[in-house]
Amino acid sequence: MRKYNKNVLYGLYDDDEQLLAAIHSAREAHLEIDNVYTPFPVHDLEEAMGLSESRLHMAGFVYGGIGALFGFLFMTWVFTRDWPIIFGGKPYWSVPAFIPITFELTVLFAAIGMVVSFYTVCGLWPGVENPTLDDRITDDKFCLAFDVTNADGGKVDALRSFLSDSGASEVNQKAI
Amino acid sequence: MSAVVSPIREPLIEGNKTYHQITEDICSPTEKAPGMAWVMAFLVAISLLAVYIFSLGWTVWNGIGTWDLNRTIGWGWDITNFVWWVGIGHAGTLISAILLLFRQKWRTGVNRAAEAMTIFAVVCAGQFPLIHMGRVWLAFFIFPYPNTRGPLWVNFNSPLLWDVFAISTYLTVSLLFWYTGLVPDFATLRDRSKGFRRKIYNLFSFGWTGAGKHWQRWESLSLILAGLSTPLVLSVHTIVSFDFATSVIPGWHTTIFPPYFVAGAIFSGFAMVQTLMVITRKILKLQQYITLEHIESMNKVILLTGTMVGVAYLTELFISWYSGYIYEQYAFYNRVLGPYWWSYVGMMACNVISPQFFWVKKYRRSVVFTFFMSIFVNIGMWFERFVIIATTLARDYLPSSWSYYAPTWVEIGLFVGTLGLFFTLYLIFTRVAPVIAVAEIKSILKSAGDQYVGPNATHHHDDHGKGKVHAGTH
Amino acid sequence: MNQFTFTAKQKTFLLSMMGVGLLSMVLTFFTDDALHTRFWSNYLHNATFFTGVAFTSLFVLTAFITAWSGWHVLVKRVWEAYALFLIPGLVLLSVLIIGLYGGFHHLYHWADAEVVAADPILKGKASFLNKGWYSIGTFVVVGAWIFFALKLRQLSIAEETMQDANFSVHKKIRVWSAVFLPIAGFSSAAIIWQWLMSIDSHWYSTMYAWYATASWFVSAMALTIITLAYLKSLGYLQIVSDHHLHDIGKFMFAFSIFWTYLWFSQYMLIWYANVGEETVYFQERLDNYPVLFYGNLILNFVAPFFILMRNDNKRKYGTLVFTAIIVLLGHWWDFFLMIKPGVYHTAQEVLAHSAAHADEAAHAAGHHASSFAAGFTLPGLLEIGTFIGFLGLFFFFVFSRLTKASLVSTGDPYYEESVHHRVWPF
Repeated sequence: MRKYNKNVLYGLYDDDEQLLAAIHSAREAHLEIDNVYTPFPVHDLEEAMGLSESRLHMAGFVYGGIGALFGFLFMTWVFTRDWPIIFGGKPYWSVPAFIPITFELTVLFAAIGMVVSFYTVCGLWPGVENPTLDDRITDDKFCLAFDVTNADGGKVDALRSFLSDSGASEVNQKAI
Repeated sequence: MSAVVSPIREPLIEGNKTYHQITEDICSPTEKAPGMAWVMAFLVAISLLAVYIFSLGWTVWNGIGTWDLNRTIGWGWDITNFVWWVGIGHAGTLISAILLLFRQKWRTGVNRAAEAMTIFAVVCAGQFPLIHMGRVWLAFFIFPYPNTRGPLWVNFNSPLLWDVFAISTYLTVSLLFWYTGLVPDFATLRDRSKGFRRKIYNLFSFGWTGAGKHWQRWESLSLILAGLSTPLVLSVHTIVSFDFATSVIPGWHTTIFPPYFVAGAIFSGFAMVQTLMVITRKILKLQQYITLEHIESMNKVILLTGTMVGVAYLTELFISWYSGYIYEQYAFYNRVLGPYWWSYVGMMACNVISPQFFWVKKYRRSVVFTFFMSIFVNIGMWFERFVIIATTLARDYLPSSWSYYAPTWVEIGLFVGTLGLFFTLYLIFTRVAPVIAVAEIKSILKSAGDQYVGPNATHHHDDHGKGKVHAGTH
Repeated sequence: MNQFTFTAKQKTFLLSMMGVGLLSMVLTFFTDDALHTRFWSNYLHNATFFTGVAFTSLFVLTAFITAWSGWHVLVKRVWEAYALFLIPGLVLLSVLIIGLYGGFHHLYHWADAEVVAADPILKGKASFLNKGWYSIGTFVVVGAWIFFALKLRQLSIAEETMQDANFSVHKKIRVWSAVFLPIAGFSSAAIIWQWLMSIDSHWYSTMYAWYATASWFVSAMALTIITLAYLKSLGYLQIVSDHHLHDIGKFMFAFSIFWTYLWFSQYMLIWYANVGEETVYFQERLDNYPVLFYGNLILNFVAPFFILMRNDNKRKYGTLVFTAIIVLLGHWWDFFLMIKPGVYHTAQEVLAHSAAHADEAAHAAGHHASSFAAGFTLPGLLEIGTFIGFLGLFFFFVFSRLTKASLVSTGDPYYEESVHHRVWPF
């Protein structure tokens, strides 16, 4: 289980657009956002937060490539080296007949590889207990959080007023 | 999120919902004691499942001699059922993947249930080839593993083996896709509950928090899985069609089989989704999420694919004449006018002719009519597979071995029994998971909710909320 | 700038392209064999290719209208103009019909009454493969397509001015579009069998019509990308964004894969079953046209697959246009491969017969002797010239149609949606 030793100040917004506006002004004011939590994927979020593009698809391409090579080379090895048998008058190395399985293995490897990568990089697995800030984040609240572990009282107050000014309906502090 | 929506579009979420109400409406059925309708349905389903287990036991104990298959008719109800179930198992992935490419927002209302249905249908489909092996305990022989028989590998050139790979890959990828979509929704269920239930749902939700970066990766993953599933879903029924089309049997060996099987699969899959959705929306009171608009859209897909299948039937029929090949010509003559003429008529009537009623808007939007039509299509598509398999085998090259095939009670029991297996799994699913993708439906609220879109819209782009940015323009 | 002006410079350029085409065709005609096989097969090749592009453009348009896709509105004028090319297409095809009746060409084995009388297979097909059906089929089918193209164009222009709260014009458009789809499905198959599949007149494949349609479809997408990029470079259609091009790029990518899927299914099934009547088609192509055969897969699958797999490549104009050109040439190449071997075979037989009481040996030799035939084994300069001519004609017609209406259809109820279109999975 991952250890969290953070003190977090967070505001809860009622609407995704309020959150987006708040993120914009926070970035303009050079406030360092710890994290953002939403109940559903908000599309403009990555742009607003300046998140770099996910590289998952590159990984998927590599996994798929491995699957394709593995499938094709394995069948080639079996039917030309290990135990060549003629089926239906076809040559030992009958490429068209290898295509369907090669394709399936490409997809299988890419899918399994990417799903495993996804959960690994996100730190999500069965049994993980990630501390949550508020139960309503998975329902209808949009959360903007600042790390205030090492912040002094004045900084915290400034952040607190930033959150409520930008439209947060609730502002709380929590150690996670 | 592009919130600029054409005024001609109809809303897809009715009842002026807020985000919280969506959570409440969709999650609450899993938190309450089941209603009378569910219990009754479950009893029926589980009784049919018992029939399945009995018939399965009978088959395994006595051997497949208890079926009426014989030397020429080596495939009968078993493979018909297999193809039928696999076909049904195509709608979920189609809705999630191909409709995504065609930007059909209405898919969000039905994708979760359709994907679940897909998985259950594939599970049902998988039963038949396994049972048909006769000695099910040796079923692992179909996988290529280093063995002490040489190692003697499986035949990678055989379409039947391609099927093994296609269907197991399809099942795995569909499960991953479906489950990844469910993770955030399980987190919603977790955060609504306490105690043991909370622990269980935390386990299911993998500790999901809803962090921005996670959502971004989640979307990226969903998109690529959708991209991968699109060719995958095509490949599965294509490979099923290869089981027939790679042979030299007239009526089976025809090059249009791959796309035609895929169209038929989509057709039957949508019909089954309709059957389930019409009931589910009523019992779980989800009419505001699975609206008449959804039903109408699916009926249009049924009309489209039914017509495509019709083009394929007529193409086959015409080309069999055009080929100038007497065996091919006879195979189709026999199909239409031979001893199984009634199944051909059933197929044409249910698959090509009856969907044409959906040209009329009134019928497309009638729930009752849709329900009966979906059953019709399911029957029609079963007939189609029966026509292809039994009719062809009953009249092969050698007239002395011509015969007629009718199922025994064991085969009927197995078929009816898999319906029990299917519905049991589906009914359990409606109890433990949200039948509509909560997060996804929330993400289209502002572009498809009836307070934003359509004739009764009250929110307009400029008067909603503080700090509102004109969505879609930045 | 929403009103397209067809400048004199463009006209001159396109007319000179047509000039190149005409010159190539004349040269082909006079350097040809006694039957002018090369000339006529080039003509058939390009006429069906561009008519098909027009047909699939209409098909795409109606499919998107029926699916309420919305985002395509900014592109729809281009497709409407493409669809109207069906009219010159029918004129081009009528020349083939005249040639068929006049006996000017020997593209079709079944058109030769003497051959048919001696051939039981062709005799069996004669009630479908005959001059009457060929011409009636062409006129009725392409005529029906033209009717829908004109109807939709007329309604689409009416929509600009006749706007009401009920969207009555758009609802009419929806109905006409939906009606067109099944008609397109049935009629295209029948007419493709006549135009193209009947060249190899003994051979048959149920997949053939869908395969040819997929080829047209990808070409239509490629031509759309080329036209849009060109119009944008002139300063038109600035509201067509990367997102629109991305989506069309996606369709070109997806349907390139779909085409490959159909190609593989057809090839693999025939290869696997190994029935002589069917394998003859691919055997001929593999033995005598290997460059065409493998080039087809490289141009139409390998290239678009690896280039367009990356999302950002679908947004880079240069890369996208480059791929579109490859794919367009690729599918033209594909049609070349579909048409030429069969035509060549037929012509060789006719020539062998007419060559002073040919015996069986000469008959066989006529077919197998020559290993390389310019304009058949590979497209030569004259074929490329002919293609340039047809392309010039196509664009000349399309540009002249584009001037007739605003490039942007503000009257379409999805107009705003299309302007704000963004590529998201939603």
